[in-house]
Amino acid sequence: MSKEQSTAIAAGCLALFGIYVVYGGSQLAYVDEVGPGPGFFPIWIGVGLVLFGAYQMLSSQAAMRRIRGGFTIWSGSGRALGGWVGFALAIALFRWIGFTVSLVLLTMFLLVALERRSLPQALVVGAILAAIFHLLFVIALGVALPAGPWGF
Amino acid sequence: MKKTVYLLLAMVLGTAGFAVIPTAAQEFKPSRQIETVVHTGPGGGSDIFARAIAELMQKEKLLPQRMQVVNKSGGGPAVAMAYLAEKKGETHTIGYFTGVWVTNPLTVKEANITVKDLTPIARLVLEPAVIAVKADSPYKTMKDFIEAAKKNPKQLNQSGGSVTSRDNLMRLLLQKHTGAQWNFVSFPSGGERLSNLLGGHAHMMVIEPQEAGEQIRAGNLRVIASLTEKRLPSLANVPTLKEQGIDVPIIPQARGVLAPPAVAKEVVAYWEGVFDSFVKTAGWKQYVEQNQFEDAYLKGPALSKFLDGLQDQMRDVLKEAGAKIVR
Amino acid sequence: MDAVTNLLLGFSVALTPINLFWCLVGVVLGTAVGVLPGLGPAATIAMLLPLTLKMDHTTAIIALAGIFYGARYGGSTTSILLNMPGESSSVATCLDGHQMARNGRAGAALGISAIASFIAGTVGVLGLMLIAPPLARFGLRFAPPEYFALMALGLTMVVFLAGESMIKALLALFVGLWLATIGTDLFTAESRFTFGQAKLLGGVDFVAATVGIFAVAEVLINLEARGGAEVLKVPPGLKNLLPTLQDLRDCRFAFVNGSVIGFVVGALPGAGATVASFLSYGLEKAVSRHPEKFGTGVVEGVAAPEGANNADAGGALVPLLTLGIPGGNTTAILLGGLILWGYRPGPLLIQEHPELFWGLVASMYVGNLLLLVLNLPLVPLFAQILRLPNYMLLPFILGISAVGVYSVNNSLFDVWLMALFGLLGYVMRKLDFPPAALILGLVLGDIIERALRQSLMMSQGDLSIFVTRPISATLLLIAVVLLCLPAVRRVRAWRIAAVEREA
Repeated sequence: MSKEQSTAIAAGCLALFGIYVVYGGSQLAYVDEVGPGPGFFPIWIGVGLVLFGAYQMLSSQAAMRRIRGGFTIWSGSGRALGGWVGFALAIALFRWIGFTVSLVLLTMFLLVALERRSLPQALVVGAILAAIFHLLFVIALGVALPAGPWGF
Repeated sequence: MKKTVYLLLAMVLGTAGFAVIPTAAQEFKPSRQIETVVHTGPGGGSDIFARAIAELMQKEKLLPQRMQVVNKSGGGPAVAMAYLAEKKGETHTIGYFTGVWVTNPLTVKEANITVKDLTPIARLVLEPAVIAVKADSPYKTMKDFIEAAKKNPKQLNQSGGSVTSRDNLMRLLLQKHTGAQWNFVSFPSGGERLSNLLGGHAHMMVIEPQEAGEQIRAGNLRVIASLTEKRLPSLANVPTLKEQGIDVPIIPQARGVLAPPAVAKEVVAYWEGVFDSFVKTAGWKQYVEQNQFEDAYLKGPALSKFLDGLQDQMRDVLKEAGAKIVR
Repeated sequence: MDAVTNLLLGFSVALTPINLFWCLVGVVLGTAVGVLPGLGPAATIAMLLPLTLKMDHTTAIIALAGIFYGARYGGSTTSILLNMPGESSSVATCLDGHQMARNGRAGAALGISAIASFIAGTVGVLGLMLIAPPLARFGLRFAPPEYFALMALGLTMVVFLAGESMIKALLALFVGLWLATIGTDLFTAESRFTFGQAKLLGGVDFVAATVGIFAVAEVLINLEARGGAEVLKVPPGLKNLLPTLQDLRDCRFAFVNGSVIGFVVGALPGAGATVASFLSYGLEKAVSRHPEKFGTGVVEGVAAPEGANNADAGGALVPLLTLGIPGGNTTAILLGGLILWGYRPGPLLIQEHPELFWGLVASMYVGNLLLLVLNLPLVPLFAQILRLPNYMLLPFILGISAVGVYSVNNSLFDVWLMALFGLLGYVMRKLDFPPAALILGLVLGDIIERALRQSLMMSQGDLSIFVTRPISATLLLIAVVLLCLPAVRRVRAWRIAAVEREA
C-alpha cells in the first residue's frame, strides 16, 4: 500500500471518528447558562475532523491518480508491530513477574526475534540492562518500579 | 473403639482451636513502608497534609515504618478511591479523605466507589473557610456584598473550584437564602483562583484562612465573613455568617483517614490507636493551630454517623443546586 | 542600588561551600531527571522533600530549585539525539533539533541548546531579581480572556508547524484537542469520553502521550530496519561537535526571543513551559528570513524553544516568591516545601526572609553557570550515545519510557496509554502527520476551552469581552496577523511573479 493510499484510508478513518465525536458531544449540553457547555467543543472538534478528514481523503485520492501506484511503505512494519506486541506483552507481565524480569524477557525477544542475535548474548544484554535499571531507579532515585510477587 | 475416635476428634479440634485463637489475638505491627494515598498531585492540599503527618509521625516515633505519600490524582478523588478499593484487605495502605470523597460519587457515574465501601479510621480536622474580598474593594461586610449583588444581578464574580465544590455549594445556599445572584467562575487550582481575585477580575472568593493568611497580613485581602459556627481565633474581629444575620448551614470540609475495604479488625484497631495517640501529641496540636484547622478528632461509630450524615446533607444541597444525582 | 547590596548578600550566602555543593547536586540531579522521559522534576522534588527537613532551609531551596531549572537543560538532550522529548516543554526542540542531528550536526544542536539555555536562564534570574514584583502585578492582569487570547496565539503556531501539509497538521491538532476533552468537565462535573473508565476521569496524562508518541514510536520506526543499524551517524572530529560562530550569529534574535517569551509566559500562573516553547518557536519562524527552512534543522529553531523553557523556570518563580501563588506543578511542590520548612510564602516573604530570596537568586546565577560548564564538555559524550548499537539502545528506551510514565502516578494504566500512543505515533510518522501538532492540541486544548468558558462566565455571554480588554485584544490581533502572514507572502510572491511575467 502506497503512502497516498494509506493516508486516504487514515483520513477516512479520522472522518468517521469525527462523526463519533460529534455524536458523543451531542450527548452533552451544547450551551450552558452563559456560554458553551461541555458539548460545544467536542461537537466542533468532530466537525473539524470530518471536514479535514474528507478533504484529505479527496486530495490523497487525487494524488494517487497522479502518481499511479507507489511502492509500499509498510514493508518493515511486520517487525515494528512485532516489537510493539512484545512490548505490550511485557507490560502485561509487569504485574505477574515484575518489571525487572519482564525487561530481561523483552530485551531477549527484541534481540533474538528481531535482530537475530544469539540467545546467550541476548540474555547477557538483558541482565545488564535490568541491573542498570535497578541501580538507577530503585537504589539511586528511589522510584518504585512495578513489582511482581518477588518484590522486584 | 468409639471412645478413642471421640478422644482423637476432640484432640484434633482442640489443637485446631488452639492454633486459631492466637492468630485472632495476634497484634498487628507494620513491617514495611506504609502507603498513604492522596487524591492530589505533589504540592496539592492533601499531599502537603499527608507529608506533614508523615513528618510528625516520624518525629514522635509513633510508627515503626516510614509513611510514603502516593499521589493518585485524577477525576477529583475517583482514581484514589478506586485505588484504595482495589487494595482489599491490604494492611499497609491508608488514604486521606476530604469532603470531595463524599460528594464526588453522588454526581459522577463512573466514580462507583463511595466512602461507605472503604473502612473509616478517623476524622482529624475540620477546615474552616472564610469569605475574602480584595482589600481595596467597597465591601466591608457580607451584607455589603449581598446588597451589591442584589442591585447588579449576575454582574459580580466569585472565583472558585468546580461546580460541586464547597465554594459553589455555599454560594448556592447563600443565593437561595438572600435572593441575590452572582456568577461563579471555576478555576482548577487555588493559585489561579487567588490570582484572579487579586487581579480584580473576581469580586469575592471562599478561601481557607491558612491559604489567605499571608495575603491578609500583607494587606491585599480583607475577610468579610467566616463560614464557621464560632469566630476563628486568628480572625477574632471577623463576624460569622450567622452573626451577620445570614443563617445558612455551614458545609464542613473534613479531613481524615480511611483504609481499604475488608481490612482485619486488629489492623483497624491498630490504626485507630496510632491516630488516637497522634492527635494528642504536641507537634500535631501545633500543626493544627498553625494551619488554623479545627481539631475534630472522631472515630468509630461516631465517625460513620458523621460520614453518612455528610453524604445525606450533600445530596440534598446538590439536588437543590440542580446537579444530576446518580447515587 | 538596593538590588546590588541585596545581591551581594545573596552571593555571600550562595557561595558558601555547602550551598555550592548542594547547588551542584541539585542541577546535576535535575539534568539527569530532565533527560529521562517521564520522570519529572515535580516528582523528584516531592521524593526528596523528607531529606531536606534536616538541612538549612536556604540550602534546601537552592538544591530543589536546582533540580527545577536543571531539568530544563536536560530535556533537550534526548529530544535532539533521539527525537524523544524528556519533558513536554522539549517537544518543540525536537522539530529542528533532531533534524540537525540527522544532518550530522548533533553536537552543534546540543551546544546551541546549552548556550541558549544559559543565556535565557540568566536573563530569567535577572528578571526575577529586578522586575519580579512589577511583573507579578502585570501577571495578575491576566484573566481568562487574556489566557484565551494567548492560547489562540499558540494555536496559530500550528500554521508554523505545518511543514508541507496544513491539513495533516490540522487533523493532528484536532485529534489532540479531542484528547484534551477526555475527562471531567470542570464546570459541570460531567464526564466526557471516559468510556466508563474511572482512570480516565482525570483526562489523558500528557506525559504518557508525549513519551508514547515520540519515544515509543521512534523505537518502532527503528525496528523496521533489519540488522543492528546505528540509530544515527556521528561524524568524528571535535569541530562538528560544537556550534560555529555563524550559528551563534544566526541565533542573536532567538536568544532574546526565548528569554523574553519564556520569562513572561512563565510568570503567568497556569500557562506552562510547553506553551512558552511553542510560542517562542512560532515567533522565531514568523520573523525569520527563511521560514521554509524551519523543520529541516536550523539552529534558531533549537535556540528559541530551548531558551524559552529555561527562562520559564525563572518566570515561574516570580508569582511563587512574590505572591505565594504557585504557577504549575513543580512550583506547587516547592511551595509545599517552603510551608513544610515553616515559611509562609506570600507577599512578605522577600522582605522578611531576604537571605532566602537573595541566596536563591544568587545561587541560580551560579547554577546556570555550572550547568553551562557541565553541559558543553559533555556534549561530545552525549553525542556518542548515538554510537550505541540498536539492540542495546531500543530495549533501554522502552524500559526507561515505561518506568518514567509509571512514576508519574504509579499507574500501569498510564503505561498502557503510552503503548497505545506509541502505535498511534508510529502510524502518524509513517503517514507524515506531525506528532508535535497533536501534543500542542492536547496541551492547549484544555486551557483554551477553559479560558473561553471562564471568560463567558465572567461576561455573562458577552463576546466583546475579548476585544474590549487591551491585552486580550492585542494578543488576538497578533494571532490574526500571523494567520494572514502566509497568505500575504503568497500574494506578494504571486504579484512579483506577475510583474516579472509582464516584463
